Amino acid sequence: MREADERYFERLESQLDAAFDVAETAKERGGDPEPEVEIPVAKDMADRVENILGIDGVAERVRELEGEMSREEAALELAADFAEGRVGDYETKAGKVEGAVRTAVALLTEGVVAAPIEGIDRVEILENDDGTEFVNVYYAGPIRSAGGTAQALSVLVADYTRALVGIDQYDARSDEVERYAEEIALYDKETGLQYTPKAKEAKFIAKNLPIMLDGEATGDEEVSGFRDLERVDTNSARGGMCLVLGEGIALKAPKIQRYTRNLEEIDWPWLQDLIDGNYGGSEDETAADSADEDADDDPDGEDADDEPNDDGDAADEPDGPPRVDTSEKFLRDLIAGRPVFSHPCATGGFRLRYGRARNHGFATAGVHPAAMHLVDDFLATGTQIKTERPGKAAGVVPVDSIEGPTVKLANGDVRRIDDPDDALEVRNGVEEILDLGEYLVNYGEFIENNHPLAPASYTYEWWIQDLAAAGADTQALEDDPRIDLEFPDPDEALEWAREYDAPLHPEYTYLWHDLSVDAFCTLADAVADGHVEGATITDGHVEAEFVGETDDSGTLVLEYADAVRDALETIVIEHRQREDDGRLEIDTWRPLAATLGCEPRQAVTDGAALDPADGDGEPAIALERTWHDDDLSERAWTWGNDEPGANAMEAVDEVAPFTVRERAPTRVGNRMGRPEKSERRDLSPPVHTLFPIGEAGGAQRNVSDAASYAETMSDTPGVVELQIGRQRCESCGTETFKNRCPDCNDRTTPDYRCPDCDQQIEPDEAGRVECDHCEVEATCVEPREIDINEEFRGALESVGERENAFEILKGVKGLTSANKIPEPIEKGVLRAKHDVSAFKDGTVRYDMTDLPVTSVRASELDVDVGQLQALGYEEDIHGEPLTHEDQLVELKVQDIVLSDGAAEHMLQTAAFIDDLLEQYYGLEPFYELEDRDELVGELVFGMAPHTSAATVGRVIGFTSAAVGYAHPYFHAAKRRNCDGDEDCVMLLMDGLLNFSTSFLPDQRGGKMDAPLVMSSRIDPAEIDDEAHNMDIVSQYPREFYLATREQADPESVDIQIGEDTLGTDGEYTGFEHTHDTTNIAMGPDLSAYKTLGSMMDKMDAQLELSRKLEAVDETDVAERVIEYHFLPDLIGNLRAFSRQETRCLDCGEKFRRMPLTGDCRECGGRVNLTVHKGSVNKYMQTAIQVAEEYDCRDYTKQRLEVLEKSLESIFENDKNKQSGIEDFM
Amino acid sequence: MPLEAPARIVSELVSRGYNAEREAVTQLASSDDPDRALERVLEDLAEETLVVRTEHVESALSRDSPPRSSASETASATEDPSVSTGTAGGTGRGSTTRSPVETGGSAGGPTPAAGSGNRSADPALRSLEIANDMTGASTGTGEYEDFVSVFRDRLERLGATLRGRVNHRPATAIQSMPGGSEAGMVGLVNDIRSTASGHWLIELEDATGTFPWLVMKDREYADLVEQLLCDEVLAMEGTLADDSGIAFVDSMHFPDIPRTHEPSTADRHVQAALISDIHVGSQEFMAEAWNAFADWLHTEAAEHVEYLLIAGDMVEGVGVYPNQDEELDIVDIYDQYEAFNARLKRVPGDIEIVMIPGNHDAVRLAEPQPGFDEQLRDIMSAHDSRIVSNPSLVTLEGVSVLMYHGVSLDEVIAELPEEKANYDEPHKAMYQLLKKRHVAPQFGGHTRLAPEEKDYLTIDDVPDIFHTGHVHKLGFGKYHDVLAINSGCWQAQTDFQQSVNIDPDAGFAPIVDLDTLEVTVQKFS
Repeated sequence: MREADERYFERLESQLDAAFDVAETAKERGGDPEPEVEIPVAKDMADRVENILGIDGVAERVRELEGEMSREEAALELAADFAEGRVGDYETKAGKVEGAVRTAVALLTEGVVAAPIEGIDRVEILENDDGTEFVNVYYAGPIRSAGGTAQALSVLVADYTRALVGIDQYDARSDEVERYAEEIALYDKETGLQYTPKAKEAKFIAKNLPIMLDGEATGDEEVSGFRDLERVDTNSARGGMCLVLGEGIALKAPKIQRYTRNLEEIDWPWLQDLIDGNYGGSEDETAADSADEDADDDPDGEDADDEPNDDGDAADEPDGPPRVDTSEKFLRDLIAGRPVFSHPCATGGFRLRYGRARNHGFATAGVHPAAMHLVDDFLATGTQIKTERPGKAAGVVPVDSIEGPTVKLANGDVRRIDDPDDALEVRNGVEEILDLGEYLVNYGEFIENNHPLAPASYTYEWWIQDLAAAGADTQALEDDPRIDLEFPDPDEALEWAREYDAPLHPEYTYLWHDLSVDAFCTLADAVADGHVEGATITDGHVEAEFVGETDDSGTLVLEYADAVRDALETIVIEHRQREDDGRLEIDTWRPLAATLGCEPRQAVTDGAALDPADGDGEPAIALERTWHDDDLSERAWTWGNDEPGANAMEAVDEVAPFTVRERAPTRVGNRMGRPEKSERRDLSPPVHTLFPIGEAGGAQRNVSDAASYAETMSDTPGVVELQIGRQRCESCGTETFKNRCPDCNDRTTPDYRCPDCDQQIEPDEAGRVECDHCEVEATCVEPREIDINEEFRGALESVGERENAFEILKGVKGLTSANKIPEPIEKGVLRAKHDVSAFKDGTVRYDMTDLPVTSVRASELDVDVGQLQALGYEEDIHGEPLTHEDQLVELKVQDIVLSDGAAEHMLQTAAFIDDLLEQYYGLEPFYELEDRDELVGELVFGMAPHTSAATVGRVIGFTSAAVGYAHPYFHAAKRRNCDGDEDCVMLLMDGLLNFSTSFLPDQRGGKMDAPLVMSSRIDPAEIDDEAHNMDIVSQYPREFYLATREQADPESVDIQIGEDTLGTDGEYTGFEHTHDTTNIAMGPDLSAYKTLGSMMDKMDAQLELSRKLEAVDETDVAERVIEYHFLPDLIGNLRAFSRQETRCLDCGEKFRRMPLTGDCRECGGRVNLTVHKGSVNKYMQTAIQVAEEYDCRDYTKQRLEVLEKSLESIFENDKNKQSGIEDFM
Repeated sequence: MPLEAPARIVSELVSRGYNAEREAVTQLASSDDPDRALERVLEDLAEETLVVRTEHVESALSRDSPPRSSASETASATEDPSVSTGTAGGTGRGSTTRSPVETGGSAGGPTPAAGSGNRSADPALRSLEIANDMTGASTGTGEYEDFVSVFRDRLERLGATLRGRVNHRPATAIQSMPGGSEAGMVGLVNDIRSTASGHWLIELEDATGTFPWLVMKDREYADLVEQLLCDEVLAMEGTLADDSGIAFVDSMHFPDIPRTHEPSTADRHVQAALISDIHVGSQEFMAEAWNAFADWLHTEAAEHVEYLLIAGDMVEGVGVYPNQDEELDIVDIYDQYEAFNARLKRVPGDIEIVMIPGNHDAVRLAEPQPGFDEQLRDIMSAHDSRIVSNPSLVTLEGVSVLMYHGVSLDEVIAELPEEKANYDEPHKAMYQLLKKRHVAPQFGGHTRLAPEEKDYLTIDDVPDIFHTGHVHKLGFGKYHDVLAINSGCWQAQTDFQQSVNIDPDAGFAPIVDLDTLEVTVQKFS
């Protein structure tokens, strides 16, 4: 570790220590469940793993292996240790496998989640039909928190250990295989899976798995087909098993494959078939499948009749360029109101550009902020998109150093929009979005997803290396102040192309590959027939050579024709369409003409033009096509993947006087997933104090109301019987529910008594409280009359607040913790005063979507250089001293950027903490923050759902985007990536003072999402290794771009990723990026999804947008919205209607069936339906209208028709049909 | 004896709430077995009847006379030997080996309809009546009250047969009876729970409220508990606990089919083909089997088949399950019905056809399902079929057939013990419905209910034949002399069926002799 890094961590830790001291002092004084801070600081991961497992020697072995190998490899190594008895003390083979599997899961989850102990119930050895033994792993629901990779690896480890201890493979019976498929479908229907393997896929996996996956029943619904199997205990769905098979094996197959490849003992050759989607069966089936997919790919919906050719010619010369396969998966379950931005690989969609922006990597997608605005603000920083490749989902980040979208405006102008302000200006006039611009994906994403590299767009960073490779002195060019290498003049670009024989500059390379050869010829003709207006002719002479300045090239005017216009739109070149004048005007025409093989026909001398334009004597240039259609080779004429001649690249190659690369061979389809999030975490209803008030506080749980509540006139107001924990004062014997004795102020302890014999029981060493005599568990919970009024008034008085200090103080109905220890009401009073609310564990939380950032500017964080310097930032990324706000500095790993909302909320929390310290604990205030500037440098906890460990972070600045930007390693330490995941921050002192394990619910999973432990410093080796796959270079080599054309395995390319620096001095620094962005909060601050009101508004906007986007088939969107949203809603509600429960309007009692009395059996009140006509048919008319308007298939329309008739039949009286208006005319 | 019998008969009639003509009593008393005759008469009485008249007795006694056919176990006996392969040797429509005389050489196209060949049917001898059809009479509007009245109606009508059997009291009245008294109650099963000690607690509900009945696990009735479904009508008798908060069950009564039930039969030798689940439009629809069936109907062997009953799922439908369009042969729902109609045209034109919709058809899924709307009727114009609601009671020359598609069978099979109901013996599940005298008792589960002014799903009158489909399994048998037939299907195994381990009986046509109620099965696949 570098000295600077050490200083940074020491600084954080000393700051943490100081806060700890204050908190400890406070805790000693207060009435909290424990007199000390309840979040211990964890030393390292090895410790956590050993502690969670309770297996001696694991920590030591983990530390040994850590430096040498990845954690997955370490898990496998440990499996060998278990198998050979070096670690763990297991007698049986089953025990060894179990130890190995648990350890693997613990290791892969960094020992922060409960999955290894709660998610794996047991491992047992069973017998195959041939008498051999096999391993059965028994999973439980909480395996979910381990995540797909650890789930999948647990199977691999089980198999590896199995092989090592000498047990045979599992040979699934055919009914068991079928059962897996049925059960997974059932579980998906009941609970839902992130990824649900289709029946074929599930059966394929089940058939091939060498160990049996089993588990606890988690649902009530039973399978209907394959019941009562001998080796399956239950007929219900086994949730743990379904997760492991579906989200584990099926989803993470490529990842497992990386490890099976390296293991001799085990061989899962079927993984490749699984990844390829080749589930065995007959050849026909697979062929049919791929044909289906191809048909889907075809944007025009035409039959893929050239399909056999593709197969047959595979061995010969390719007859089309390299292309990725389309994948429709991301379009599944499309939701109303969340638009599709591009269909799979569709022309006009986002163009894949490789690179990593500074706010990018780790499951994010860089989108131009202008594009965000142009898709009607549906995309904002942090919006999740479901994407075609390389992963499944990504968080959107604004990157303005890539190419923006190209739009056609109502006035006929076709413009590329590279400035978000321009986007806002022209947005209302956009008729069509011809191209969405570039879409930045970093190399590491392909590594992470084990996705073959997709052919790269031709971009500046590739071209400059091509130019250098062609022999140009690019350094000299870069140093030349007159030359802008990235955005050169067209003539410069043409000159370089010719002089160095390098490919044409990407700025002037158009999307020829989207143009058919026929259209290419048409365009060439049109250009040859066109004329140039407004050219300045220097020296009275224009050479046939391309010389001179851009300004005087004039404008190329083509005759307006639909085919020509379409061609220009297809290749995405800026131009103007003047249909009324019959003109198409292109300003930057020389590269276009040159690429089309057209040259200025003749020198024009002294204004005596051969082709005088408009007859006004203005000099004009005419163009000549230098080739004939016949000159094109057969290969050029038939070039193309979808159909022969669909791609004009070969034609360009033959007619252009220079090399032209494919500008955008890979388009990435995607749609909106979740909107971004930046919101306070409130329980529902919000809670200020974890103090129970039963029903006395009304639906609002208002403590003040409870304090004056009396059920009858004879009751004392405010006295309510509650289930609450009994405490005993050891000194004076007083019984109370408080943590301090009201009489002598000593600390009290829980008073456990046997429910049968009422004897007092002391907890044993393991914390169990069992009555030896009666053999039942003792408890301290009792129903007890509490005078809420007295408690409430007392609390107000003790903190010196009046009731008008807050609007409302909300308590809870009852406590869910084991011992039911309430929180002092005083804390609630102060929370209410500052309008913050408590989570179930007593902390105040704020949720934000996670996004990564590795370098920041003071200016975009709303802080000044001085503040950064005070935090230890001394140099910018180039090593220059930090002096002004626009310099980029590399972010330190635990520094985080708060959204504006989070900052505001933190200030409120800080004010609450200060009051709490002063008014409740009797200490000095800790924060004393006047405005949010002062938050900079304060420590917070980052904490993700499903985990049990908090990570300490430090506030460095603020952003207007509704997200939490932080170092990718910080997110990874919390076990999050940035594909739309969200998690929370807490103010440090709030966690230290107010968190208590005593508040946590006493149920499975209750200890999740609670800071049971904190990591004070991030060790890059001990975080979710997904983050290690992020590339950290400033440029990708030319070999990389060439390799993408081969669709090479990403591992075969050498680009430095985080993993490469692990364990070195550079592990905390040197996160370079290839692309800058002006500000990490460009584009809209909030997605339109959040600003639009009703679902209908959102859906209208979604469909409206689909019409504008060239890359989106609006009919398909409408179909999918109906198919995945409206129809399930209608069908589901109709089904619910005809088998519904009823509910009493007065007392809320529910009845499975309508009572025969008609009235409530409990209270005699009015009973009514829970599903009404209105909720059943609310989308009916809209759905029919959408189907009509967007010309959906008859199939869809008929489904709606049948449903409409059903509704009519159920809700309308045949004998009393509603009359139409004509009846009254 | 002669003096004693009339008095006993009168007192019995009075106890059951009937008055009687003197002549009728005399007739009853003079019959061979007065008790049996009395049961028979009461069985046949229409609900609104108050006075037992001579014509009641005569009609009951006339049906009581013929000796029971020896075919009570025709099921196993007939299934094997009488299965004839309709497509013997014939592989297809164009086959020259097969040239039935009556098809007159039109081997390729639809067979000519009415009046063909050897079919010698005399329409004048036929009679066909429909009852319980609610098509065009759906008056429910989906209000809470509609639901309440349906369930009240159910208790009212099915309870009527039970009230005579127990000394029933309203739930509220039982609550106020002294501990230890004997009590009886008729109600809907509201809840079935097992207690910690393994006994069963059954909550019965009537129009006044609910009352819990405890069935001790060691009592003979304990086994019956497993066969109970929520919302069926039941009578219980038992002893109240000391605090009158619960009663211990001594006996339990189902509405049931009386053991004395004697089916009616036709006066002549005439047959009906009972089929269902044709699923035209599905890729799995067995066109060849269907054509073979239709062709067979033109043959001499089928000359007595004058009725064709189709218990739902004419077509595969649209949107029945996700991504169904990918597995449809005909994607357009109207085209599906057109195609079905074309299939129907192959059937001899003189056959009387009755059909009810099923869950794949383009009508509402909630039961009762009205018959098809005008648009679909116009499409299915062949043969002037009778299109009625699901369920409906069809009487063919005196033989009543309760037609019900059978969606509730899934639930009966899922909820009841394997030996009482399973997919391989679908008729056993049907027995349960007969016993409960309701085609779909349980609310809130699998079966969907649309509330109408009355409960169309009760089995008010004992049918002679109970005909269902839906589960795609062939099975038949007799329950208290009611013939239960679940017809197979005309759709080969689908991927879904394979995934849930169902092997359908496809391409079979059970043929019932209406004069003897014997079944033969014709196989066409």
